Amino acid sequence: MTQVLITGAGAVSCLGAGVEAMWQALCAAPGSRPLRAADPGARMPLPLVYRAPVGTGPGGRASRLAVMAAREAVGDAGLDDTDHARSAVVIGTGGGNADHWERPLDPGRTDTTPFPVASAVAAALGAGGGATCVSNACSAGGFALAIAVDMIRSGEADVVLAGGAEAYSRVGLGCFNRMRAVDPHACRPFHRDRAGTILGEGAAVLVLESAGHARRRGAARHYATLAGSGWSCDAHHLTAPGPDGAQIRRAMTAALTDAGAPADAVGCVVPHGTGTRLNDVVESEALGAVFGERLARLPLYSLKALTGHTAGAAGALGVLTAALILDRRTVPPNVPLGAEQDAQCPVSLPQEVPVPLVGRHAMANAFAFGGNNVSLVLEGRTP
Amino acid sequence: MRPVADPVVTGTGVALPGARCAADLLALTYGSARPVPEPWPSRDRDTRFKDRATRLALMAGEAALTAAGLLDAGGPTVPGEEVGVIVSSNLGTLDTVCRVTETLDRDGPAALRVVNLPNACSNATASSVAIRFALHGINLTLCNGATSGLDALGWAALALATARARRLLVIGVEPAGPAARHCAGASGTLDGAAALVLESADAAAGRGRATLTGYARRTNADAAIAAAAAAAGPAGRATGCGLWLPPQEGAIGVGAVCHPDTPEDRAARAARAPRPGFDPGRRDRDTEGDSHHPDGIGYATVCDLGRALPPASGAFGVLQCVAATAWITAGTPAGVPPTALAVAGGGRADDAAAALLLSAAHHAGAPDEGEE
Repeated sequence: MTQVLITGAGAVSCLGAGVEAMWQALCAAPGSRPLRAADPGARMPLPLVYRAPVGTGPGGRASRLAVMAAREAVGDAGLDDTDHARSAVVIGTGGGNADHWERPLDPGRTDTTPFPVASAVAAALGAGGGATCVSNACSAGGFALAIAVDMIRSGEADVVLAGGAEAYSRVGLGCFNRMRAVDPHACRPFHRDRAGTILGEGAAVLVLESAGHARRRGAARHYATLAGSGWSCDAHHLTAPGPDGAQIRRAMTAALTDAGAPADAVGCVVPHGTGTRLNDVVESEALGAVFGERLARLPLYSLKALTGHTAGAAGALGVLTAALILDRRTVPPNVPLGAEQDAQCPVSLPQEVPVPLVGRHAMANAFAFGGNNVSLVLEGRTP
Repeated sequence: MRPVADPVVTGTGVALPGARCAADLLALTYGSARPVPEPWPSRDRDTRFKDRATRLALMAGEAALTAAGLLDAGGPTVPGEEVGVIVSSNLGTLDTVCRVTETLDRDGPAALRVVNLPNACSNATASSVAIRFALHGINLTLCNGATSGLDALGWAALALATARARRLLVIGVEPAGPAARHCAGASGTLDGAAALVLESADAAAGRGRATLTGYARRTNADAAIAAAAAAAGPAGRATGCGLWLPPQEGAIGVGAVCHPDTPEDRAARAARAPRPGFDPGRRDRDTEGDSHHPDGIGYATVCDLGRALPPASGAFGVLQCVAATAWITAGTPAGVPPTALAVAGGGRADDAAAALLLSAAHHAGAPDEGEE
């Protein structure tokens, strides 16, 4: 089977612009507080969001975030113009360019689809291999990466720019307020007092490349191999996970099988962990079913405690984090929970200091409303 | 893309005023839609809180699953883990989002009805279909502009080839709610859905009359057609093309603004339609009798759904393939290759074009085409 390498990466989130800024923030584990949305129309009890730095310019906010991350990824990978021209693009987003359509519609203006994010990336970078926008809500970025792997394995593409992007959405924030699913303090996955999630902005784009193509063009390095993915659907409820976690378990198990990795080869998991009460419990139980008694020692890195729930970008930011963990052989310290970790979520969240990575593989999970689940398994470089 | 074995279309369904079944699509002419039943789309106890796109998708999806023999008494006849759902729609959630926006502006979040909130989620339709029919396979939503419907089928073929699923329900849907009508402007928009079930050859086990032999998405129609033909391989190309389903003009794309194509655009695109690698078929019937298609291009029959229907955006490609399946299933006259070529996108407002080839299935021991 064709090996698919991550040869470039780009990211933007509330942690800053750039992969290195992100890694430094992860290692510092500063704790993170959301800000009030920069939207006078956000008249709601908890108008909180983790805002990302995004420049002005043409296109919607999600498109601009995606283009920022994609430019960094392409530069990081050292792709030349010929590689650009042949590259495909697959970008996941939950809300698309929400800033373009979440407003009273201008009677004089007829608009295009709200989901031109992948197309905007392709146009900005001159990628001519086809652009696809996946809109699987909060797991969209993870699905985009999994699809990109399948494209390369099937021979449809050698290089794919893939990831996810999400921008502030007044509708999203309003709906979460109405559902009383916004934590008034911060995004606190696995915390005993968590009261919901807090949405965040961000984008992550990875350059995925067949090992053969990377070798032929003399790629300088790669972060990790994106070795496998598993997909499933709860088919249970539009907003609640299946309580038995069976389909989440199936996605994780399928991803391990696809990667050819036993569960005990996994040295770290970047969970979906959003801070909503039921989701964190169900995911913890599913992790326990997959990893058994080792779950108590298996380091998890709870990314959303720093970035908030970046929805369509979350899966891609999670995979990027897993790739960096494999690349640096280090699990950054989690935002401290101490004794306030929920006893119903008996997962290992190393805190205070970085932990050396043990194991060749890492896993990232991304789940969404509707029970759209994807798990991805990455493999580190051979020492 | 070269699938391990060409996937098979085993069932189709439509939810469209003027078309009771897939075969009706072949006979559609613009303005021939039958009176719309009230309320359209239908609403029952289970769907009273579903948005318009979801109700349309459920209608078409149920018909396709039933036709494929995968649904019995409302439940799947095969393990739900084997069946996935892929939905293509560019405007599916727009009405809900705009309505929520207006309510937030006017009355604040307390005025929002909780039961309606999930419909603002971009994957609400695909998830609702999975929930209704207990389908635990992969679940994808694509919003890919004018090519989205064909792209959804292309992704389905890839998912089957890579064993992500054995059977996939692919739905293209666009709802004509107030916001979607506004976005569509004067040209209007489709208010309907089409669905087909695509199964791996192994899962189909001799069922189905059409196979998906090639698909590609490229920056222009020429490149997409050539790439789809290449994906079909020598056997696919050798059959020629009996039915051409051209792109639709003026549908919602992913460019900056939606422009209807000019006659010059149409002529230029039609002139590009001859496909390298295709043997010209016998042009013995042109259903539209129009003059903008040049003589000598490689097709026998045209099914110009783009002229028969309002702009169908993300549903268009699925509608084309449902019609093509009906055409193949009905059997073709002697000398006409049982192969259909569908092309979408490629207009000024589109970022790409997609092409897809469907051919008659050749099952071991199956009767010849047209003998059913």
